[in-house]
This record gives sequence, structure tokens and C-alpha cells, in this order.
Amino acid sequence: MGPVELLHMSVFSQTFSPCGRFLAAGNNYGEIAVFSLSAALSPDATGMSQKPILTFAAHEGPVFSLISTDTHLLSAGNGEISAWSWAELTKRSTKALWTRRPNYKTSLEIPEINAMIVNSKDNSLIVGGGDNNIHIMDMETGTFKSVLQGHKDYIHCLSFREREGELLSGGEDGAVRIWDARTGQTVHCIEVFKYELCGGGPALSLWHLRSMSPTSVFSLAGCQREAVFYQDLILTVGEGPYVSHCVPGGTVKAQIPSSSPSLNTLTLNLNSNEHRVMTTAGSSDQIDVFTNFSYRAFSLSF
Amino acid sequence: MSTDPLKKRKTKVIRGDGGTPETKRIRGDADQAKFPPALPLVGQRKLYSGRKQDVRVYNEEVELEGRDTEQDYILYKSTCEAVAKLMAEIQDLKASGAKEGSMEVEERRRRGSVHFIALKKLNRMAHMRLKKARDQTHEAKQRVDVLHLQLQNLLYEVLHLQKEIGKCLEFRSQHEEIELVSVDEFFQEAPAEISRPHLTKEDPHQLTLARLDWELEQRKRLAEQYKSSLCTKEKILKGIEMKKEYLNSLQPGLQAIMQASLPVQEYLSMPFERVQKQAEVARHLPPPLYVLLVQASAYGQACDTNLSVSISGDVDEAKALSRPPEDSQDDESDSDAEEEQQNTKRRRATVGVQLDDKRKEMLKRHPLSLCIELNCKDGSILHLFFYYLMNLNILTVKVKVSASADLSGAISAGELLNPESLLNCLYASDHGQETPNPANRYQFDKVGIVSFADYVAELGHPYVWVQSLGGLHFSSDSPQVEGPHSSLSASHMESTMKLLRGRLQARLALHKQFSSLEHSIVPVSNECQHLFPAKVVSRLAHWTMMSYEEFVELSFVQHVMKAGLVRNTDLFFMATVERGTARLQAAVVLNPRYPEITPLFSLSLLWKGERSGRTDDNLRAMESEVNVFRSELQGPRPGLQLLTNQMQRLCVCLDVYLETESQVCDGSEGPREFPREKMCLRTARGPNRLKPFKYNHPQGFFSHR
Repeated sequence: MGPVELLHMSVFSQTFSPCGRFLAAGNNYGEIAVFSLSAALSPDATGMSQKPILTFAAHEGPVFSLISTDTHLLSAGNGEISAWSWAELTKRSTKALWTRRPNYKTSLEIPEINAMIVNSKDNSLIVGGGDNNIHIMDMETGTFKSVLQGHKDYIHCLSFREREGELLSGGEDGAVRIWDARTGQTVHCIEVFKYELCGGGPALSLWHLRSMSPTSVFSLAGCQREAVFYQDLILTVGEGPYVSHCVPGGTVKAQIPSSSPSLNTLTLNLNSNEHRVMTTAGSSDQIDVFTNFSYRAFSLSF
Repeated sequence: MSTDPLKKRKTKVIRGDGGTPETKRIRGDADQAKFPPALPLVGQRKLYSGRKQDVRVYNEEVELEGRDTEQDYILYKSTCEAVAKLMAEIQDLKASGAKEGSMEVEERRRRGSVHFIALKKLNRMAHMRLKKARDQTHEAKQRVDVLHLQLQNLLYEVLHLQKEIGKCLEFRSQHEEIELVSVDEFFQEAPAEISRPHLTKEDPHQLTLARLDWELEQRKRLAEQYKSSLCTKEKILKGIEMKKEYLNSLQPGLQAIMQASLPVQEYLSMPFERVQKQAEVARHLPPPLYVLLVQASAYGQACDTNLSVSISGDVDEAKALSRPPEDSQDDESDSDAEEEQQNTKRRRATVGVQLDDKRKEMLKRHPLSLCIELNCKDGSILHLFFYYLMNLNILTVKVKVSASADLSGAISAGELLNPESLLNCLYASDHGQETPNPANRYQFDKVGIVSFADYVAELGHPYVWVQSLGGLHFSSDSPQVEGPHSSLSASHMESTMKLLRGRLQARLALHKQFSSLEHSIVPVSNECQHLFPAKVVSRLAHWTMMSYEEFVELSFVQHVMKAGLVRNTDLFFMATVERGTARLQAAVVLNPRYPEITPLFSLSLLWKGERSGRTDDNLRAMESEVNVFRSELQGPRPGLQLLTNQMQRLCVCLDVYLETESQVCDGSEGPREFPREKMCLRTARGPNRLKPFKYNHPQGFFSHR
């Protein structure tokens, strides 16, 4: 990676390891980098500990989505899903365990996979991407069980409501479909609690799911790409070089500056107690680490 | 002797008695003597006289031998008694009133006197006995002394003789210092008349003599041999001398042959003579230039026939340099300076002039310089002039370009072929502004030169590759360089020559391209047409050059500066691409090592507001489309199309951007300004909904990366 490539790098996805000590990030060149969070957070961290312990080429196209199961790291590239073992990755072995491809109809352009989630109840992987469909794959056998069609444009993000067993998907067509069915506005990313959070343009908004109506709209400039609930706050990132802290009431409490001009992804390390950090990344090669959510502590770099 | 003192005594005796006529007669006549008969005449001696008389001589000493000491002692005692008795009688008589001179008294007095005479004789006798005893003792003593002396003498002589014997025994004759062969060898080797075994076996003296003889003979023989060897050696030396002279005399003959062969060489175009003349001049080159000459000529002969090397400059001055420098001039100037200082008390101009002279002296160039000419295929020539700075021990280079084509087209291309900066950064970060020799820093401090960059224009650029070509290696570890290494030069020669050619060609190509760009035409060659769609609507409106200061002030280039990809040695340009109401400004950073290093574009779009690569992800995607994919855009080797292809791609991307912009976002109504003409499968993809900028040939549609 020369300095020019680094200048034009974007990080699209992140996920923490099940033990919470490692962070995997995927960029637009199809590479995945594994960072040792425990090394970067230790008191005697040097500049080298902010570099990845392992960088490898995972896919041909950008890695838009990464998720972690208890033992595996699943990454999505240009229309394919690869699985890597966390244990192997920490030993710097970069052999994929398996690579599977959902059944796509068109062959002219390979659709990307934008979102993946795991349904732990029936051990299935749900992916949604550029072909406007949601594919469900059984993790044990590896076959694609079913396809959920309905979106008119590509799917940006997926979310799961465990209690009701409902899957929500948001797409470019502006619809949020709850599979068992309903529609909404243009979204980017949602996370569901009791409420539903819809980001995107025009604005980030909080919806109450039972009544299916927006309770508050947040006045944030720019399209929000990812938002999460944390304790009683809503943390959200999108266009603009900051992380916004919002209150469910509708006010924007704080905007914490970050190093990238716009941010694509935000994750919280809830797997580990001692490394409870928030990391954000976007259109640069830096991944900001927030140990205290009010300010940026340091940045990892590709 | 014994008679004389006796005679004297005799007279005394006679006188003391008052003298009788007999005694007077004895006194008067030495030959005759008579004594009163009272005393026995003992020890008479008969003296021989002419009267033939039997003379008796009274010898008292002889008499003495006959007397007995005991008797004399008794006699003495009795006489003393008698005298005492007589005196007593006299006293009695005198006491009884006898008259003075009476007969009894007188008689006693007479008898007393006679007794006194006897006492005197006894006294004399005693004395004589004493004297005799003493004489005898004395004589004995003397005899003993004599013997004693004799004994001493003898002892001394004995000692002396013993010493002499000792010395004799210790005597080492010289013959023992001569190394002789061992006895056995001697008996084996020596001929019989010398060794004489029958004698020598018994007698060691003879043996030694024989051995010495043998030794002498052997030595004489060997001395003879030595002399004869010396003679032969002299003869051989003389022979060698003669042969040497003969060989030396051949030299002029060979020269004559060489001269005669000159026309032949010209005819056959094998310029040995010219090469030799160059070699002759090359002898006076300073070592780094010599190394460069040798390596460049070798490289030119072996690999690259379009390279030619020549030496220019003043050979006589160079010869003068190799002679010891004349000190008198320096002394004069110093003393002059001193005098002036003393006279006028620190006139500043003098010191300044002195410093100036010192500087000039330090920066002096060697009178000879090398000229290397690289001919390129299109007929342009790159002239490189190499100079050697003697005191600083570095090489510098000046460059000149003779281009085959007319170069006066492009205004923005002014800097491209500027001789000052043409060779900048041939290798990364080799600016040629500072001297690469760390030792020069100390030299500069002495004469007050702050930075070498001030003199670069006049003296040439001291690039590091120039030093390497001359075999000079300066590293921070070892500031001293032992001498130019030709292996260093050889290893750098090929790569440097290739880089120089490449640089010249790249610059000339850029020159041509710039003149076309300034006319708003992006020249795309036939080989690269496949990279772009047939119809490109956006057009290049302006192409201008910028300075570093102007570039730094642009707001949308700060990310490039922060990433450290910009240096003040780079060239900066501003391109403006327009379509309709949209204006795209692109700031271009051109590294001197183009096309090895891709030019960097930074974009800013003015269309319904200002957006830049920082604020708009799609513009950022356009930047990466143009900057990152060098392997696609560089075209056929040597990749001189890179910049123009980048420009064309930028125009294509702007087209796509404007045509795929959805009107829904900004809420405006009415027909679109830019109708969709490009074929795209999808207009948005991925979380940040990027536009399709990648052109696929030959299908002709746009897709995402």
C-alpha cells in the first residue's frame, strides 16, 4: 500500500472478536486488517501497536460487511461470503475456511453484499445486497435456504428483532421492510430495540414499532450511515467528520470530532469488559478508537 | 777503634793523677806508653813501630775481660768501707784537735785518694762492661735484623713468583678464539701431512697446531673462491645493463612506427591515436573524473552506442596544478594584508576581500571537465558537463538540452526543461542543492559560506548520483573517502544513464503534451483510446502552471500536504474542466520523477455549491479513479501518456458524475441539465452510494470497482 493508495482508502466495516481483544476492519481494496486492541490499549503501547497485526487480501471488491460469530469471522466481498477462524487469524494464518456465493440471477455485474446478520435461533446467516434480495443461508450445511424478495433497490442494512422473530431490512428504495411486512422511508442502517431507528436521508429518525410512526426526528446534517443504541444514548455516524450523541427525545447532545471526513461504520466492543471502546471508521485509512465516548483517544491505521 | 778511645782514656787517667813524668812522656809519644805498675798490665798489645821496639800497649778492655764482676763488686765494697773508715779516722783526728796538715791526716788523705782512684777505676770498669754488653746486644740485634730483612725479601719474591706463575697459567692465546672444526672432522678431512696423526694424537699442543694449520689453509682456499664469484657477478651485471640500454633504444623506433601508422588508422576508422591522445590528457584528470571517464567510455562501448565522452578544458593548467604550488604568491598576499592591517588598523574591505579570495580558492574548479552526450532516438541530445571541485572533493554537473523539435509552444512548460531543475530528483530526494560531502561543512565554516545552494548556479549541481558515477562515496559513518571506487561508478552507470535518458524523453513528451493541453485538447494516443468512451462531453478549459506557494493556499489540497506527498521541488498545475454550469478544478502535483511517480490530482467542484473530495464521497472516488490506477492509465512503455490519460479519465468521470446526479436530492424541478447518456447498470452501490466510474471496454458501460 503506497501513500497514494492509503490516501484513497475507505474503511467500510468493522467487527470485534468474540473475546473482545481484536478488531477486524475491511476496506475498499478488499483487504481485511486485524488489530490487537489489547496491545493498542495497553499502557506501553507504541506506534507499532496501532498498526494491524495482520493484513490480507480477502476479496476482490470492497469488504462492505463483517460480522463475528463465536468462533468465526464472516466477511462479505463482491457477491461472496468467506469465513475465517478467529483462532487461525490470531496466529496469522489467512486461509479461508469456506467461501460461498448466494445464487444470483444476473451475471453482468456481481452484486455486492452490504449487510449480514446471524440468526442464532436457527443458526442461519442472513445476507442482503445489491441484487435487491435477502438470502438466508444455513450455517451448518452451507446451503442457501430461502430468498426474500421485495425490495426495489439494493439493500443497505439488516436487523433482527429477537423477541418477535422479525427481520427488518432497509434499502435504497427508501423502504424498511419488516419481513412479515411493512414499509418506511429511505434508510441506511437500523438497530432495533423497542424502537426502530432509521437513518439516511432526509434525516435520522426514531420510530416506534408498534405504532409504526416516527416519534422524533434528529436534525443532523448529512445522511447517517450507522446508528446504535447505547445505554440511553443514540450514537450515530454518517456524512461529516463527527460522531453524534443524541437523546431519544430528539436533541443532539454532542458531536465528537473524528479524523475521517465522513464515517461509514461505528461499533461498540460489548464482548469485553476491559476493552469497552467504540471505534469508528470511514473515508480514510484511520480507525478512531474512543475509550471514553466523549473524545477520540487515538487512531489505528491500516 | 778500640785503640783510639783507649788512648784518650789513657791520657785522662794520667792527667787526673797529677801526672808523673812517665805519663807525660807517654802523652808526648804516642808510640810509647808506660803505666804505673799498680795495675797489672793486662791486655797489652804490641804495636809495630819502626824502632823495632816491643811496645806494650795498655788495653783496658782486654783487661776487662779478665776480671770477674763479683770480685770487682767486693772490691768496690771494701774500698768504700776503707774510705769510710779513713774519713772516720780523719774526723776523729780532727775532732781530737789535730792540726791542719798533720801527718796522719795527710796520710789518711793520701790513702783516701788512692781509694778514690780505685773507685774511679771500678766505675770505669762498670761503664765499660755496660758499654760492651750494649755493643754486643746491638750487634746481635743487627744480625737478627739483617736476617729478618732477608726473610722478608725472600717471602716477597716468593709471592711475586707465585703471581707470575698464576699469570702464566691464565694466559689465553688468540688461537683459542678461532673456530676450528671438530677433532673428528679434522682427522677425517685434513690431509696427512697437516694432521700428522702420529704426533698429534698424543700431543695436544701439536694437535692444536695442526688444526690451526688446516684452518688457515681452508680459509685461504675459500677466500679465493669468493673473489672469483665476485668477478663473475660483476660480469653478469654488466651484461644486464647492456641489454637494458638496448631495450630503451627501441622506444624511439616504436614511436616512429606509430606516427607512420596514423593515416592507416584514419583509413580503417579505428582511432587508436585519438583514444591514446585522450588517454594522454586523461592522465591529468583528477581521480573522480578519470573514473567517470573510464566507466562512461566502457559503458558507451559495451552497451550504449549513443553515448559519447570527451574531455574539455585547459591541459596546461591541469599540468601546472600537479606541480607543487608556489608559496611565494600566498606569502605575498598574506604579508600585504598584514601590512595594510597594521597601517590602517582594520580596514574592513581588506578582510572581506581576503575572505572572498579564500572562498574562491575553496570553490575552485579543476581546469579539465568531462562532457558526456546522450543522443536520443528522436534526435535530441542531452549534454552533461561534469566538473570537479578540488578543495571540496565533489563533482558537479551542468546540463544543456538540444532538442530536435521546436520547444517554444507551451507557456506552462517553461519549467520543464529548465537546466537548473531538469535533473532534480533523478533519484528520490536528490535535490542537488547541498554538497553531499559532510567534510565540506567544516570547510565552509572557515570561509563563511553558509549554504552551497548560492553557488550552485555557477558551479553546477552536486547530485549524489554524480558523486556515485565518479566513484566518490560519502556516507554519514565515514566522512573521509579513501579514493574514488570504480566499482561504485560501474554499478550506478547503467541505471543513471537510463534515468537520464528517461528524464529527457519524459520532459520532451510533457512539453509537447502541455502545448496541446494549453489549447484545450487532451491528446490521447491510439493505443490508449480503449480506456475511454467515444464521446466525452466535458472539456478542458484551462491548463496553467502554479507555484508552490499558490498551491499551498488552496483549501482542497490540505489532505495531500498532510500525507506528506508534496515537496517544494515538485511542479504544480491547475486544470479546469467545464461542462455546462459545472466547473471542476483539479490541482495537479507533478513530481520531477514523472512518470515513475504518478501525478496527484485534488478535485474541487463548483456546481450548485462547492464540493471537494473531503465533503463529497463521489469526488473522492473520482480522485482515486484518477490517482490510484496507474497501471491502467500509463499506456505503452515508457508510460509517457500518464498525465494525458489521467486528464481524459477525469473528464469522463465528470461526465458520469453530472449525468447520474439525481435531482430528487436537491429538490429542483424541471428538465435535467445533464441528460443521461452514459450507460450505467446501477447508479448507486455500497453504503456510501458511489457512482459508477469504471469504464468497461468494449462493452462501453460504466460499473463500480
